[in-house]
Amino acid sequence: MSEPVVTETLVSGRSGRRLAPFISLGVAIVLAALFVVLASGEAEKPDVTSSFLLGRPAPAVISTTLDEQRFDLSRRKGSWVVLNFFQSTCLPCKAEHPELVEFAAQQAGIADGAELYTVIKDDPDDAVAKWFAENGGGWPIVKDDDGAIATAFGVAKVPETWIVDPSGVVVVRHATTITADSLAVELQQLRQAYG
Amino acid sequence: MTRSLKSWPSWVLLVLVVGGLLAVGAARDSGPRSPKERVEDISRRLACPICDGESVFESRNADSQAIRIEIARQVGSGAVSDDQIINFIEQRFGSRVLLVPRATGIDALVWALPVAALVCAVVGLGVAFRRWKAAADTIPDDADRELVAAAIAGDAEAAEGS
Repeated sequence: MSEPVVTETLVSGRSGRRLAPFISLGVAIVLAALFVVLASGEAEKPDVTSSFLLGRPAPAVISTTLDEQRFDLSRRKGSWVVLNFFQSTCLPCKAEHPELVEFAAQQAGIADGAELYTVIKDDPDDAVAKWFAENGGGWPIVKDDDGAIATAFGVAKVPETWIVDPSGVVVVRHATTITADSLAVELQQLRQAYG
Repeated sequence: MTRSLKSWPSWVLLVLVVGGLLAVGAARDSGPRSPKERVEDISRRLACPICDGESVFESRNADSQAIRIEIARQVGSGAVSDDQIINFIEQRFGSRVLLVPRATGIDALVWALPVAALVCAVVGLGVAFRRWKAAADTIPDDADRELVAAAIAGDAEAAEGS
């Protein structure tokens, strides 16, 4: 008398067993897709050296230096330009500073030595001037009062060092501290490649 | 005509209404915005590049302020769309500044997976409801009726005996 119910249960049990692999497969695909999304997500890399600007013309940079001289990056074409973003309260920037002093001295002794510029990153002008007066560094210091230069280069954390080739194209970004020797060697290799 | 066939127009109507409302909601235009409103809208879609959990709109630090100035400058030029300005900032600071994921490439899975999960859930519930309904609709046959009658009769005899 209870046969129909038994039959129904058997039928639904069989169809459930048929569906189970497909449901499992669907869940596995969704989980795998989620894993791929998470695994391929951009990780935080504080010393990342990639940039959209690499291989592209440098952003237009027009500002003034601490000694009130006009600075226009596009007018520096023909020279290798090194831009160092700096803040006087940043410990890595302070630690890097002697290396930049040494690098500037090295480049001054070369016929086509690079021009070094410091770009002030969110710091009072007088604080930066005081730091340079006490710790050396006679190269131009460029003001960036509204952060336009930092935004144009995508600089959020300092120090950062960028190299622009004589045709005005951005060729290197270092989002970490550099040393005088490593920067000089890199620049020499770039010169040779540039021809 | 079965009941399921009879009810299909209501399902189609429901799908059309929901689809229409979604389309209207997605394409809703709140009218022309002022440059200030555009700057605010764009800065709400970007994360502060150096702080956690704050948009460029909310953040008071110098980097966010500089980005707001850049957005205002580009909005003021009038030559670029909101998406182009966001793309400009993203190219320089990386995709980590995007508060709203892109709808292209692998990022589109962020949008597609919840929809896929919703569709699976609705289909699963539909299948489950149909099964439960089929089980509930089992029509008693003569054997069932005899069984019930016998049970009632047995209960009655037991009641008389006690």
